Amino acid sequence: MANPADKPDPNLTTPDEGEVREEELEDIEEEDDYEGEDDDDEATASKPQTREDAAASRANAQNLFRRMGVAPVPVRVHDVIVKGNEKTKDHVIEAEVEGVRQATTLQELLEAANVANFNLRALDIFDSVKITLDAGPPELPDTTNVVVKVVESQSPLAAEIVTSTKSQARSSTLEGSLKYKNIFGHGDIWDSSLAYGCDNSGEVGLGLYLPRLRGRPSPFTSRLYLSTQDWLKFSSYRERALGVSLGVLLSKNHELGYTLAWRNLIDPTQMASRTIRRQIGHSLVSDLKYTFKVDERNSSLRPTRGYSFVSTSQIGGLVPDSRTLRFLRQEIDLKYAVPLGFYRSALNFGVSGGITFPWGSGYKSRASSVSERFFLGGNISPVCSLGGPSALWGFKTRGLGPNEPRREAEDDKSGDAYERDFVGGDVAVTAFADLSFDFPLRWFRERGIHGHVFACAGNMAELSGNKYRYFTAPKFMETFRSSVGAGIVLPTSLFRMELNYCHIVKKQEHDRAKSGFFLTFSTPSS
Amino acid sequence: MEGDQDTSDFTLVTRKPCFGLPTACPNCLPAYIYLKLAQLPFQLAFNSTFPDSEELPYFESGTYVAYNNEDGGVIEKLEKDGIVNLDSQLQSLPDYLSLKALIVSWLDEALTYEIWVGTEGASASKIYYSDLPWVIGKVLFYKQTYLTKKRLGLTKENAEQREKLIYKRASEAYEALSTRLGEQKFLFEDRPSSLDAFFLSHMLFTIQVLPETSVLRHKLLEQSNLVRYAERLKSEFLEESSSSPSPPLHSFPSSFSGMGSKTKSKPKAEKSEEEKKFKKRARFFLAAQFLAVVIYVSVMGGVSSDEVEYEDDDY
Repeated sequence: MANPADKPDPNLTTPDEGEVREEELEDIEEEDDYEGEDDDDEATASKPQTREDAAASRANAQNLFRRMGVAPVPVRVHDVIVKGNEKTKDHVIEAEVEGVRQATTLQELLEAANVANFNLRALDIFDSVKITLDAGPPELPDTTNVVVKVVESQSPLAAEIVTSTKSQARSSTLEGSLKYKNIFGHGDIWDSSLAYGCDNSGEVGLGLYLPRLRGRPSPFTSRLYLSTQDWLKFSSYRERALGVSLGVLLSKNHELGYTLAWRNLIDPTQMASRTIRRQIGHSLVSDLKYTFKVDERNSSLRPTRGYSFVSTSQIGGLVPDSRTLRFLRQEIDLKYAVPLGFYRSALNFGVSGGITFPWGSGYKSRASSVSERFFLGGNISPVCSLGGPSALWGFKTRGLGPNEPRREAEDDKSGDAYERDFVGGDVAVTAFADLSFDFPLRWFRERGIHGHVFACAGNMAELSGNKYRYFTAPKFMETFRSSVGAGIVLPTSLFRMELNYCHIVKKQEHDRAKSGFFLTFSTPSS
Repeated sequence: MEGDQDTSDFTLVTRKPCFGLPTACPNCLPAYIYLKLAQLPFQLAFNSTFPDSEELPYFESGTYVAYNNEDGGVIEKLEKDGIVNLDSQLQSLPDYLSLKALIVSWLDEALTYEIWVGTEGASASKIYYSDLPWVIGKVLFYKQTYLTKKRLGLTKENAEQREKLIYKRASEAYEALSTRLGEQKFLFEDRPSSLDAFFLSHMLFTIQVLPETSVLRHKLLEQSNLVRYAERLKSEFLEESSSSPSPPLHSFPSSFSGMGSKTKSKPKAEKSEEEKKFKKRARFFLAAQFLAVVIYVSVMGGVSSDEVEYEDDDY
């Protein structure tokens, strides 16, 4: 017998709702016959009924359904009964099901039950979840008990491999993790993970996820990590960090995070340019990060309608020790998609910018930390990346912006073709426009393969270390880089791949950009 | 290396100044003094976030960089690359190599021992870790102390013997250098060399940075002609650019004055050893006292707790 809780989508469509409700009413009618039995977990299972009883129940159910179609049927939830949880604490489950208590009509109750079912499955610690409605005590008419039956995962250990785009690394990452679920019964998920990025970055970490922290409806994550990012090829430094990060999802749109990390920049090749040489060493990062995110696009891999807005604010050095890294950082990203009607085509616009600056004594003359600066370019698509300026078609990873000559090589043994370090910018702006369309052939349409034509522009500049004195808006506009192109987009279940031909319209001396064919990989932005 | 570099481009990057020295790091000071002896104008820049780096000090000019962990050291690299060379024609002299070995191995080892073990790192925190956050500074300090002890071959069993050997060698080196120097201005002929840079750096560090209780410092101050040599070179080459001359070496509180200090310094050295022994004994005594108190309380406490329970039962 179907239960209201079977569909994970809380937004039911009307025909489904009708079916579900009819079956629901049958449940209610049946359970009226079994009042007072506490553990009738299979109350919805059939008990022997005579044909007359069955016919009567069906008639009653249809009457009730007709009543529901006409006007709201008042009902009150008397009690929420949780069954099947041996390890999981009752309050964890009750907290996810809380919404049903506020229901005043049967329609609201069914909807709330759907949502509760979805929430419980989203905890990822149960093998199955069933919510049924039982009749309330006989002395209280028009009441119902909500029975939540869960089956906890038999094997709490789970392994998974995912691809993602880590915002720090600005490139696609492959992550393998081992998760241990619900050790303490609070819905806690412990994981150890190993991640490897396309840019030779690696991270090993231990994490903890809690769906609720001290009763508050905010998922809490904490992570202890050891990471390495290898930028030797582009900026002549390697960054190692050992740290702990905490994050709280305050609501759907607001997230707060804190990171405390010991960061070490080294240059094993000893070929770095002057700016990077001055940055080599240890630092302690203690920063608070607030993210406001709204994503109303209909898809993150191929948006054809809607908008998204992300604003990330970071402040570092909020500890009494003035020797920790002190900086301010703000990123903004706005994207908009307009459907055009033919061949499922859409016009995507996007603009994003960011600025960072040190604070504290001597902030004007102090250079910002290269780890907090902005870098543009890489093998990700601007259409998908959410949060801050990062991607530009046609420009290689860390391929544009302020750059400096490296140390002169003593001999020509170094096979490295790059002789300059890209040191990043304190202010960066990017903008793009992308027209995507389906191909006329059905074969392509069925697989989601579509084409697109695009144009993008971006620029960066240094401000810290007294370089703001040489910054002027006209010069910044004059040195804007831009490119145009067209390509094919192949969406897969793991990522979105683009094969593009880019033509560099404008670039500056030393930029690593070339007109030609490029592949980009993007994952649904995290 | 082209000789037509703009001289205003020369920069020496060292660790930060402290204790009245332009750079308080004993690895960086020789390079600074060398460039001053060569009278090469240069700018000074500081790196105070990488105390465990072997690259410092490094010399840069445009895209040319001479790191300290290449070619035997930054001074050797500058000589090899033709930027500045005070040792031309000196390297062939027989004394040169043996004196260099003496300074670079025995005296260097003695100084390293004295900074990290002899004075228990009292000055090290200020020199290396004062600009790093406390947590990082502490971890790096303990790591460096451990690595230094390992490098010097110190273990609990041989610590005392190694210490005696290190100090004995330092004494012998000082005497040899004192004899070699006499009343000359420089160690070799009448011109400065890299050995003067190394030795002057060692002397300035030992006298100005190490605390008064330092054994090495006492041994050095016994050689009066060496102290005069250091003072002379310091005032002539190192105080040219500074606005206010730093106080002369002999005005330091526990200053050396003539022969009398020879007898004074000996009892002082012995006193510091006695002090160490006394402290050790005091610690053992306190530990024994504490243990006795704990035993007393636990034994007698067992008796009294029964009484307490009995009283409780009344209520």
